[in-house]
This record gives sequence, structure tokens and C-alpha cells, in this order.
Amino acid sequence: MVLLLKRSISNNMPVKKLVPLLSALVTAVILPLIFQNPYYIQIGIMIGVNAILAMGLVMLLSTGLVTLGSAAYWAVGAYASTLLVMKMGLNFWLALLVSGFIAGIIGLGVGAVIIRLSKVAFTFVTIIIGIIITLVVGRVDFFGGWGGIVSIPKPDPIPLPFSITIDFTKRISYYYLMLFLLLLTILVSFALYKSRIGRTWKAIKLNLQLAETLGINSYLYALLAFVISAVFAGLAGSFYAHTFKTIEPETFGFWRSIYIQVYAILGGVDFYISGPIVGSIILTVLPELFRMAKEIEPIITAIILLIIVIFLPGGLLSLPEVIRNSRGLGAKENLLPALFRRNKISRSKN
Amino acid sequence: MTGALFVQLVVNGLAIGLIYVMVASGLVLVLGIARVFNFAHGQFYMLGAYATYFLITLFEMNVLPALMIALAIGVFLGGVSYRAVFHYMRGDLLRCGAASIAISMILQQLVSIVLKPTSYGVNIAIFSQIIEIGGVTLLVGRLILIFLCLIVMSGLYYLLKCTKTGKAMRAISLDSTVASLLGINTVKIYWITLALGSGLAAIAGGAIAPLFVINSDMGSNVILIVFMVMVVGGIESLSGAVVAGILIGFLQSFGYHFLTGYAELFMFCFVAVLLIFKPRGIFGTFVKEVY
Repeated sequence: MVLLLKRSISNNMPVKKLVPLLSALVTAVILPLIFQNPYYIQIGIMIGVNAILAMGLVMLLSTGLVTLGSAAYWAVGAYASTLLVMKMGLNFWLALLVSGFIAGIIGLGVGAVIIRLSKVAFTFVTIIIGIIITLVVGRVDFFGGWGGIVSIPKPDPIPLPFSITIDFTKRISYYYLMLFLLLLTILVSFALYKSRIGRTWKAIKLNLQLAETLGINSYLYALLAFVISAVFAGLAGSFYAHTFKTIEPETFGFWRSIYIQVYAILGGVDFYISGPIVGSIILTVLPELFRMAKEIEPIITAIILLIIVIFLPGGLLSLPEVIRNSRGLGAKENLLPALFRRNKISRSKN
Repeated sequence: MTGALFVQLVVNGLAIGLIYVMVASGLVLVLGIARVFNFAHGQFYMLGAYATYFLITLFEMNVLPALMIALAIGVFLGGVSYRAVFHYMRGDLLRCGAASIAISMILQQLVSIVLKPTSYGVNIAIFSQIIEIGGVTLLVGRLILIFLCLIVMSGLYYLLKCTKTGKAMRAISLDSTVASLLGINTVKIYWITLALGSGLAAIAGGAIAPLFVINSDMGSNVILIVFMVMVVGGIESLSGAVVAGILIGFLQSFGYHFLTGYAELFMFCFVAVLLIFKPRGIFGTFVKEVY
């Protein structure tokens, strides 16, 4: 943990960058203490789970591979943890680790086969595998069938010194567990992106042929990204199962994977850490606001996504950069033409 | 298994498979020529089916003019979606995927709000008739469907091989830069391709409207199978899409008869195993990379 921290906050990282990060963390810690309503805390937990899943997806995207089946490993983690705890009586904390491990192993097996496909075929096959996993889970009675599994036990209490225990009776303790997992994900991602591995991923995305000419085994690096994102999803799945107490195959279906992808795109794909968080905050809170009109919620989500994709190709977080660029180009240009100009540039590129 | 049953299953498989072939070949064109990853393709299929259904039931049209209008709707939607959205992100897998998913969500949700999530089915006398050929009972509608699909596919073949537009399309699919240097109006061809591909999806949807039950989920269901067809056949290979579409149709028709509930699972696993041995699909090439 300390090593991760050291690696992720290296010496050349300016203080200017550190301040917003720390303030965001402090806000995330304090916010549930102010809003004690369990409904809000529930939304907070969901934001965290979505952000972890989207971060895994972005990690794979940073190698240039688009996956539309990330919910599959989420399902693997959730079911593995549930079955380990309920049928084998394992401790939750051990099950959390083991389910992350199992998701990683399955990701390794699947990835070893499908990364060899061409990029479009890879995307298609991830969809197919997502469907296979929901079908297997739904069909086989051992996994609870289409009805799913209910009344999953809560995490085991953590004994602390001075006879205090965190026993997971309140919603808020789940929130802090989520925050811990999210932080772990962020730190691991930070460390990876800053290291040689992250730079290699970037190189593969920029120019696969050139990277391979320079002696990079792109297959192994892409596989590594695939496995790590599967592990993230597995951990999130285990946490999800024990927090929400019920799991059913429909939760992990195709549309879930689509939504995970949308979180990443909305925030901005090039913002590895902040993009997924911003995206998942917006798209988790927004549906809750439109809870009265559940039917039109997907339409509003879709329209927002469409606007972002057409006018802000870099995602919501690239807005400051677009504004800055528009200022640099001359005094007359304002924001709107700059947005259109960006599209024109990308048009001529193809 | 008797011979009659076998023939029946083959005809059923062919009917389903040719529908997949039509939808998949539209998507192959869109992906191979215009470089657009179009998720909303399945929704065009659904809208084609709904259009045909309402034209037949409400306006009491014949099947053929109804199909023509469905085709026109598909062509129109494809062209509009290209000009409005895909034009700005051609060639970008992720952005095209996101935008087309958004379009697909809007269309599906609008349809299910307007029409409520109920299923519809039409009854046309000639389609539900049964004929007997040599002891085999067959539904006439299925045979008409097969016939129609064959006509549409041969029309597509003619368009691609024997017309100037088709030649331009093939040139662009090889190298769009060189094609535009040689004076081909690439943007126009992209536009036409999107319109043509979506029209194929819509007419396929229209063709199944008199035979099967239609609902607002059918678009997103068919698109997944079409993806599978494309992966099995080799992305952007039209002949691959034809072979794989019919193969998947047979797998479904035989699978539902012999395995019932596990048919889907079996089909998906079959495809997964096939991909282990043939990662680029049946007709895929190792030379060219789309993206």
C-alpha cells in the first residue's frame, strides 16, 4: 500500500495537481457524514462501484481495445463471492480476494483467446461472452437460476482495538468499504499508468505496428490490461453482492456493459482516473433525478451521450482544454465555433 | 429423425438464416466501406418490421408495397443518421459505438413508449397457408421469405458488381484515400452505403413482420446474433456473412428442436470454440485491418 502510494505520488508530481485530488478525497469522506440519509449513501455506493468498473474498462481502452462485456467479470466476481460465502462458509474478506482472483483467472483464459482477434471482432466477442455468462448463470440451477440469489450475508465484522468493531449494520460502513476499494483501484491504476507498463499501453494504442517493431509484445501487454480490468470488476462484483444482498443474472446483462462504457466516454477516455469518476457520478445521479419518469430516462441519457460524442470527442473533462484552445486561436473565436472546428479537424483526418 | 422433419428444419433454418444474412450484409457494408460501427442497425430492422406491420394492418396495404415503404424508411433513417451523426466520427470505433448506442437507445425507448412493450403479429392468409410437397408440410410464408431474401441478395450482388456506384464502393473499401484521389466523391458513397445498409436491415425486418411476432426488443436481440454472424464469417467479408448467417440459422433451427432451452447457450459456445481455431472467422483475412 505504502509502496503503491510512493509510486503513484512520485517526486515530479506538482503540488498543484495534488491539491484537487486530496480535496476530492476529503469531500468523499466527509459527504456521507453530512447527508446521513441512507438513500443518498446508497447512490454514493453505486457511484463507486460504477467508477471501479469504468476504470477497468478505461484501462483496456488505453491499449486501444474496446470491450462491451465488462459486466461479465463483475458477474463472475459477484457469483464467486456469493457461492464461496454461502455454500462453503468462507470468510467474506477471504472471498473478496478469492473472487478477484477467480475473475482474473477467467479473464486470463478468455483474453488469451480473444485478444488475437481483430479489433472489431474483439469488441463483438466480448459482447458474446457477456451474454454467455448471463446465460450460464441463468440456466444452471447451481447459480440460482434466473431468479437469482437472495439474502446474501453481510461482510464479517472487523475487530478493532479498544473493543470497537465495524459490524456493517449501517449503510455508511459499506460506503467507506467502497471508498477503500475505489482508492485501491485508483492507486493501482496510477502506479500502472506511471510505470513502463502504462507507457507501453499508450504506445500500443498510438501505433501497434511501430510498437511491435520496437520489440514490444503487444499481445502480452494487452492481456495484462485485460486481466487487471477483470480483477477490478471481480472485486467490485464481490462487494456489490454483499452490499445489495441480492444478485440476479439480469443485473449483469448486456445493457449494464453498455452503461459502463458510457460512464467512461462521458467523462473522457483520455482521463484515466477522473474520467470514469465524473462519468459515473453524472450518470448515476441523473437517473435517480428522473426516477419519476423512468421511461424517458434512457432517452435523456442517450441524448447527453450523443451531444458529448459529437461536440466534445474528448469527453466532458476535455471542455477546459477546448476552451483554452479556442482562446489561443484568436480573439474573435468564441467557444461554439471552436467545438465545430474540432470536428472539422477530425473529419479531414480520416 | 424422419426425412420430412429434416426438410422442415432445413427450410426453417434457411428462412431464419437468410434474414440474418440480409441484416448482417447491411452491417458488413456499413463497417467495411463507411467504417462506421453501427449499433442502431438492429433498430432500423425493428422499425422496418413495425412499419410493415402497421402498413398492412392499419392501411390494409399489400405486402410488397409495404415492404417498399419499409425500405424507404430504412434508407431515409440511414442517410439522416450518417449526415447528422456518423459523418463526424467515421473510423473511430469507440465514438461510433457510443453514438450508435445512443441512437439505438432513443429509437427503442421511443417505440416502447409509443406502442407499449406488447408484441404484435399479423395474419395474412397466404402466408399462413400450408402446402404439402412429397409428404413434407411447409408454411408458404417461409418459402416466400426465402424467395424474397434471395431476390434482395442478388440485387445487392448486382449493385456491387455491375454498377458504377458498386465499383466506387469496392474501391473505397480497398483504400479510401486513393479512391478520393481518383475523383470518387467519398462522402457521397459513405452516405449511400449507410442508406443502403440500413435499407437492407429495414427490408429484412419488414420481411419477418408477417411471419413472426414483433416487439420493441427485437432490434437489440437481432444485432447480437448479427455480430456473431459477422465474427464467424470474418468481419467485412460479404461471402462470409452469407455462409455464417445460414450456418447460424441452421444452428438455431436444429438447436431449438433438439436442445430446446440450451440451444442459445450451445450456439454461443459453438461460436466461441470456432473462434479459438479460426480467430479471423471463416472468410477472414490476416492481411487487412479495419481499425
